[in-house]
Amino acid sequence: MNENDPQISQDITNLITVGNAFSEHAKMSMRNVNVFYADKQAIHDVSLDIGKNEVVAMIGPSGCGKSTFLRCMNRMNDTIDSCRIEGDFRLEEDDIYHPNQDVVALRARVGIVFQKPNPFPKSIYDNVAYGPKVHGLASSKTDLDEIVETSLVRAGLWNEVKDRLTAAGTGLSGGQQQRLCIARTIAVGPEVILMDEPCSALDPIATAKIEELIAELSQNFTIAIVTHSMQQAARVSQRTAYFHMGKLIEVNDTKKVFTNPEHELTEAYITGRFG
Amino acid sequence: MAQKEYTVDNTNLDKHISQSFNEELETIKNQVLAMGEVVEQQIADAVESIVNVDKELAKKVVAIEDDVNVREVRLDELCVEVLACRQPAAGDLRMILSATNIIRDLEHIGDEAEKVAKMSLTLAKKGAAPGGYEEVRHMGELVHTMLNSVLDAFNRLDVTQALAVAKADKKVDREFKSAMRVIVTYMMEDPRSIKRAMNIITALRALERMGNHSRSIAEHIIYLVKGLDVRHTSIKEIASKLGQ
Amino acid sequence: MTNLSSQPAANAQTPSTMDLVNKNLAKRYRAEKRFKAYGIAAILFGLACLVILFTDIVSKGHSAFLQTYVYLEVTYDADTLEIDDINNPQQIAIADYSALVKASLRQQFTDAKSRKERRNLYGLVSNGASFTLRESLEDNPALLNQTVGVWLLADDDVDTYYKSRGDDKADAFVGRLVPKQVAWIETWITNQQIKKRFNTTFFTSGDSREPEQAGILGAMAGSLFTLLVTIILSFPIGVAAAVYLEEYAPKNKLTDFIEVNINNLAAVPSIIFGLLGLAIFIGYFEMHRSLPLVGGLVLSLMTLPTIIISSRAAIKSVPPSIRDAALGLGASKMQVILHHVLPLSMPGMLTGAIIGFAQALGETAPLLMIGMVAFIVDIPGGISDPSTVLPVQIFLWSDSPERAFIERTSAAIMVLLAFLITMNTFAILLRNRLERRW
Repeated sequence: MNENDPQISQDITNLITVGNAFSEHAKMSMRNVNVFYADKQAIHDVSLDIGKNEVVAMIGPSGCGKSTFLRCMNRMNDTIDSCRIEGDFRLEEDDIYHPNQDVVALRARVGIVFQKPNPFPKSIYDNVAYGPKVHGLASSKTDLDEIVETSLVRAGLWNEVKDRLTAAGTGLSGGQQQRLCIARTIAVGPEVILMDEPCSALDPIATAKIEELIAELSQNFTIAIVTHSMQQAARVSQRTAYFHMGKLIEVNDTKKVFTNPEHELTEAYITGRFG
Repeated sequence: MAQKEYTVDNTNLDKHISQSFNEELETIKNQVLAMGEVVEQQIADAVESIVNVDKELAKKVVAIEDDVNVREVRLDELCVEVLACRQPAAGDLRMILSATNIIRDLEHIGDEAEKVAKMSLTLAKKGAAPGGYEEVRHMGELVHTMLNSVLDAFNRLDVTQALAVAKADKKVDREFKSAMRVIVTYMMEDPRSIKRAMNIITALRALERMGNHSRSIAEHIIYLVKGLDVRHTSIKEIASKLGQ
Repeated sequence: MTNLSSQPAANAQTPSTMDLVNKNLAKRYRAEKRFKAYGIAAILFGLACLVILFTDIVSKGHSAFLQTYVYLEVTYDADTLEIDDINNPQQIAIADYSALVKASLRQQFTDAKSRKERRNLYGLVSNGASFTLRESLEDNPALLNQTVGVWLLADDDVDTYYKSRGDDKADAFVGRLVPKQVAWIETWITNQQIKKRFNTTFFTSGDSREPEQAGILGAMAGSLFTLLVTIILSFPIGVAAAVYLEEYAPKNKLTDFIEVNINNLAAVPSIIFGLLGLAIFIGYFEMHRSLPLVGGLVLSLMTLPTIIISSRAAIKSVPPSIRDAALGLGASKMQVILHHVLPLSMPGMLTGAIIGFAQALGETAPLLMIGMVAFIVDIPGGISDPSTVLPVQIFLWSDSPERAFIERTSAAIMVLLAFLITMNTFAILLRNRLERRW
């Protein structure tokens, strides 16, 4: 049925992004990004700004390139040999892909939270302390203790784990693990937090907690979140970007996207007309 | 009452992955149209009952009002169900929101039709008004056409036609004012007829309200199709927003 | 089930799904049971083999842990020993103690007249007995010219006879013993001059031509040193190679080629490694033969592929999410490997390494090639002392004609197995400790 639908199978080769992809107070700005896996092009000429203290949600069907785009934002795709990235990525004024840009330093500024909660098989304390230790952020044990506590407090996990900081991080529930991962990320003191489907492995209550946390974090951090749940995008983000087959179809205020999207592909996706 | 089968292919309501969601939306749309048809008939019958002093017809209009109320409640339930279970977004969300608002307007139109029918009964009992029957017939036709047209616009999601209906409300208002002037003249001529004239004025006022509600429906259709909120906006502004 | 099947079918012509399912159910259950039974049978077969093996080895070898001793009245006669100054250790050291034993034997059995008979008589006591006498005199010089009763090591033929005799003389294994000798032994038995004691010699001395003096310690030390060299060399090298191949090596033809070769090397017969060792370490580097160092080098070569392959598998099994997490926090590649990949894959690596080392411990063929098959009496004190190893010792003894070596062979196998089990237990404990941390 969908294949025959003129609306959905329409030619998108010459498509340009509708809506408002740019921001006046851009924390990160990506321009004309093309990403290739070997010969296959995964991202076609995408330009997008993430504003300071803004939550931008990226939605789209599977394989639309949203996760790839997100991972390019802190060079996580460097580890993939066949991945080739073109275009301009800037964190404020700094070129992320500049040869002199150190990846380690970049990732201290742009943290990432993954789909599956992936705490290290270490204690809760060590999980949070790992980043600061690696980057040498704490000069003393007291310093480190303080960073760990603040991060856990900010991640809303402190009260649940303060009595068992030495317990294994992997022993927590899924939602707690994911908040631990967020605490671990913010312990490094990043400016931007990237989230790659952070709630897809969690139950609704844990999801609600994470979403609440995202809202709080957005006061101090700039957040880009990839999600498969449109409701989640609607709940947590200020702007929503819709990706389709490696293209950025539409970027608009979340309210607009979910009540009156500009592009019919966006409309078709968020109303569940194709998957 | 024979229900007409409405097709909804032009709205893409049937393009969801979830077949049952398609069906729910179609049901809502068809039910709204069916309710509209009942209300349409109410208007026609109410007006006719005044013009022809037909007590039976007036009673029938009053009786049908219960049916309209039941339909309103049932449709509301359906809309709440869809909102709760499907969390519709964008076009679907606007569809449900418009539907609930249109239902409300239709119900109000039904109420007004009942009012007209009741006036018809009063007039039949207390004696005919000094005049204004022709105006009632004329306005009744206008309002009936408006409702018919706006329901058609809803069925086809036709913004142009909805805009035309919104414009037509002006005409009803003008008709109402001129009818008032005529009746006021009668009343001045014969103050004893004031009591009976008041009845016909109530009927005319009800018809004028129906016009307003029809315009409201038209505005909801514009919101449904274009996502533009055009309430409390002049026709000119609406037209410019729609680029027409 | 019965309830469901008793429901009437909706349509008489076409049997309901439940009927069809029920019909096949019994068959499926049977198949399931059979499948399980095959597994149990396989395990039972394995267990049975193991039990047979152990029973055989233990039943043959347990007697080697006991050794027959003979009680003789020995006079430390200064004249016979030609000692005139008891404070001269030199004299004590070179004295002919076997003469004392011979004198004592002659004294007890006066019926040994001819030279041949006397030789037979002397042959009843091991020539190791003279060492016992010397040691006791060295410890206590006051014994000179005293007559004391001592328990002396019996000859292996006597040992075999006495162990196999049991209660009935007729069951005994006579072997090379002549009737006269048997009669003398019987006299000892009647006098209760003969008994079995725990065989300390077996655990404290090196190899010997005489079974009653042959011990396993030399081979054990040899095995230990060889294995030590193997562990120290192959584990770090193997892990380093695995880490490079998994984490750093570009995916190209060369890497593929290396990978194929490593896999092939794991399947190369071990004797080839022995030839390689012979050619390179002994032939080219001119190292000495029979050294644990060379043996360890050869076994390292043999073990490396196993360790590399298992280590790579262990590294691969570290969840990518952990790598991503560490990378995402800004850890460098080396930090990711050292902090996360290695600790997490260590249990897996150890498992592979244990298998490799167990193989190395039991390996004979390559060591034969580099001369670790030599007859070495001295117990090696380091990796550069000539030595042999346990499996080679077993091989040597199993080849010896003396009947007493049969039980020693089995006993040596038991020691080897105990060695293996100890090593594996240690490794498994270590692995569990690493695993249990999280």
